[in-house]
Amino acid sequence: MTATLASERTQAPLIPPSTHRYAEVIHRLEAGGSMLPDTPENLKQIIGIYKAYAVPMDFYWRDLLYIAERVFLNPLPAFKYFISKEYLDRPNSYAGDQSQLRIWRGTEKAHPELLEFMARGETRAMPKLLHHLWHDRVNMEFAEACMQAMLWHQGMGGRFNDYLESDAYKANADRAIKAYFKGNPLMLGLYALFPDMFLEQVRQLSYTANLGLFWEVMAPVFFEMSDIYDEGGFKGVPDAMDFLVNGIFAVAGRPIYHHLYIGEECYEIIPKSEGFTWLYEAALPYVEAVFYRTSPFRGTKSYNAQAGQVPVDQADFHYGILYADVYPVGSAGIPPTLLMQDMLHFLPPYLREIYKEHRRGEEDELVQLGITFQRSMYNVTSAVIQALRCALLYPLDDTDPEHLMANRRFFEAQMDRFLRPEARLSDIQTQDYR
Amino acid sequence: MATILETAASAGAFNTLLAAVDAAGLRGALEAEGPFTVFAPVDDAFAALPPGTVQTLVDNPPQLARILKFHVLAGAHRRESLVQQAEWGSLEGAPVAIRRTEPFEIKNATVINADIICDNGIVHVIDRVILPG
Repeated sequence: MTATLASERTQAPLIPPSTHRYAEVIHRLEAGGSMLPDTPENLKQIIGIYKAYAVPMDFYWRDLLYIAERVFLNPLPAFKYFISKEYLDRPNSYAGDQSQLRIWRGTEKAHPELLEFMARGETRAMPKLLHHLWHDRVNMEFAEACMQAMLWHQGMGGRFNDYLESDAYKANADRAIKAYFKGNPLMLGLYALFPDMFLEQVRQLSYTANLGLFWEVMAPVFFEMSDIYDEGGFKGVPDAMDFLVNGIFAVAGRPIYHHLYIGEECYEIIPKSEGFTWLYEAALPYVEAVFYRTSPFRGTKSYNAQAGQVPVDQADFHYGILYADVYPVGSAGIPPTLLMQDMLHFLPPYLREIYKEHRRGEEDELVQLGITFQRSMYNVTSAVIQALRCALLYPLDDTDPEHLMANRRFFEAQMDRFLRPEARLSDIQTQDYR
Repeated sequence: MATILETAASAGAFNTLLAAVDAAGLRGALEAEGPFTVFAPVDDAFAALPPGTVQTLVDNPPQLARILKFHVLAGAHRRESLVQQAEWGSLEGAPVAIRRTEPFEIKNATVINADIICDNGIVHVIDRVILPG
């Protein structure tokens, strides 16, 4: 595929230039590039942050699956972030020798830097409970905020959400709830009184499983990208994007499901046989909910819905990382403080060097890395856009002008989403934006 | 005359498709009376997908079946009938768009051989694997 994309870049101009405001970016996409300009510093920044992101993500996916499959409806889930050894050691399905289909070269185990951080945190080695109470730990709240964005925005393509409303799902959830609270008359009584409330909680847990299965794939992808870069393997930003495009295709058919385990017994709330896939039911809804939409986040900036500051239509929400005004404390978009703090612990030395040299150096490292993250997510979004073009439209080197115009309309429609003033697409075109 | 699967087997250009039909457990369904309209991607179409794509699907039969069902319509439709509508509901559930009549294009695939009549339906040979969306 990498070879295919490379040859696609030699297309002759068979159609007139775009007149879109982002024509330059569109022409770059048509030439097989990314929304992020191909500069050595951009490559260094995005790969460095992928690495820093992958380490906490290696915890997020494991704990999300632990919560969805084991903690489940625990009414007092105070220890849901205290992942069990079984889930911390859970082998990655697509990395390591044991995997049924080994796609990435990393190991199946939790990353050593993650284990080291879990043991020591920012402070020093102490019991897990003290690290938790001191908030010296991985910020699972960020992962849950992403899950809630997916739950809340719902209908974003795929069939997952429709299934959550189906009779089959309700029957499966009912069986799981009754089994989970077996011998607990209080909770069973509450379930009899408020069945929909319990069902809605299970739906949330189904999205928790969905996101866990999504990130289980992304963590080894980002680790491998970091390794390839360290070996001098990526020649530019488009190479990094192509690697992501290939990854998206390779696991597109991975099943998305929700199983509950009570002891050894497995209750299939969403069985694999429903045919839900990683691409349609997880990746695309995730990108839409988290990169683009999320929700107005009350931080340094508050939004007044009554004054029309929040769109009426959920599809117009624009509080994701692609639009975020990056601040060191909570601001627009995904609760960024939490993720930025998580990534700060695992920055490769070469990124720390870049941050020291610019702006206020170490003082505003969190802002600088947030903007690096924004650049890197424009590159991931570019990979999604190219993958969709590849799956649904035409090769970049197609010689039929009608096909090329179909590609053009698709790229322009994608860029229309960045016409609103909050979008950071213009900013990331220059290196000065830090 | 032969069935859809017999026709595909004798053509020799659909080895991946036939293996996928078996892996997905759809052989019985496609040997039924039907009739069906099948958009059959040639081996090269599967080979053009990035590495791992087909293998992940073959390892997961329900997910593979979903993609294959997107290539099947209920009823026997010749080209002249297909082009009368902008899109047709596939067995997968998502619509299959008829994008162009000349050359004859189904979604982003070009039909390289249309109207192969079989006992239980009609096959149109396409040059790309088509995906819902």
